[in-house]
Amino acid sequence: MAEQQADLAYLKDEPQELGGSRERLEQKRHSLAARLKAGDRTAAAELVDEYYEQMYLYMRRLGHDRQASEDLTQEIFFNAWHHIGQLKNDKALNSWLYRIAGNVSRLYWRRHKHKEVVGIESIDAPDAGAGESDAFGHYEQLEQLNYAVSRLPEKLRQTVVLHYMQHLTIAEAAEVACIRQGTFKSRLNRALNALRKSVT
Amino acid sequence: MENEQIKELLTELGPRLAEPVPSALGEQIKQRIPHRLARHKISWDTVNIIIDLRLSKSVAAAVIVIAMILLLNIFGGRDSTVGGIVQDGVLLVKYWGGAGKVDLATVRTKYEHLLQRGEDVTWYGGSASPKDGNAVLMHQKSADGKYIVTFADGREREVNSEELVELLARRLQGRAK
Repeated sequence: MAEQQADLAYLKDEPQELGGSRERLEQKRHSLAARLKAGDRTAAAELVDEYYEQMYLYMRRLGHDRQASEDLTQEIFFNAWHHIGQLKNDKALNSWLYRIAGNVSRLYWRRHKHKEVVGIESIDAPDAGAGESDAFGHYEQLEQLNYAVSRLPEKLRQTVVLHYMQHLTIAEAAEVACIRQGTFKSRLNRALNALRKSVT
Repeated sequence: MENEQIKELLTELGPRLAEPVPSALGEQIKQRIPHRLARHKISWDTVNIIIDLRLSKSVAAAVIVIAMILLLNIFGGRDSTVGGIVQDGVLLVKYWGGAGKVDLATVRTKYEHLLQRGEDVTWYGGSASPKDGNAVLMHQKSADGKYIVTFADGREREVNSEELVELLARRLQGRAK
């Protein structure tokens, strides 16, 4: 629950983040990447602190079960440490890490084709009381949407998760998916159309 | 339902799908930080590019064949001219493609290749019957004074001069009949 509140707080703070603090965040990432490249182990620990929750939730939102998500989160960091030298632009640490996460996830699906996509089940049911039917209708829509997202093809699911759930900008998310921004927007549109048909 | 509503619902769904992250996960990962983080190496980039190419099996096979031919030419002490490589390639393809069947043209190509290299080699294939597996197609004189005889069925045998005369005499007898 604390995580949910933190995530909600992040959303509310989004417009402020776009200002100076976003710049500061980028500078922090830049210096973190530089320290990692220099072989600084404390920077590696900082990287874990800053990203492990994001990466775990990203894996869960992509449809991996809890155990697999934990394993894959660990794998993401191992890959990052071992391939940090390949990070060309230090400012792109965020999208680079997400790209590694995407590759790790894709490889996992390839190796475990029989495994089913598992959605996160913990959408809180509305409290009983005034406007109960409205709240329940809204809850049902969210449930339907959650299921519909988990049924989307892998690429479309990743597009939706990156932009709407991990809060990456179009530019960042397109970089993660290794496609142009226009292609990303078109994918996003296709995903939204597919979701629209599934939610009543 | 409009796309805008879907967007709003998705934005709301994200935080609601934030289940508690296992608290020990971060520490577990940190415990496995390697003693030395990898430094940037150009060679690794190259290796990764090769891996990322994800060559198809047929392309990979072709690359291996070409590499083998080049290695044979370089380390086999043979001239690595284009003609030599092509001839070797033809031989190789014919050998594999024929799955053990050696035809007259293949041996002829080999003969021409040896001749070009300046080997002491004689061709009898012009008058030999391809149906007769024991027919001598050519012989090559080796450095130790012996002869390598190639038969129509693809066999090769090392013989001394007397045996060679005997084989050639048999061939002449066959023609006389």
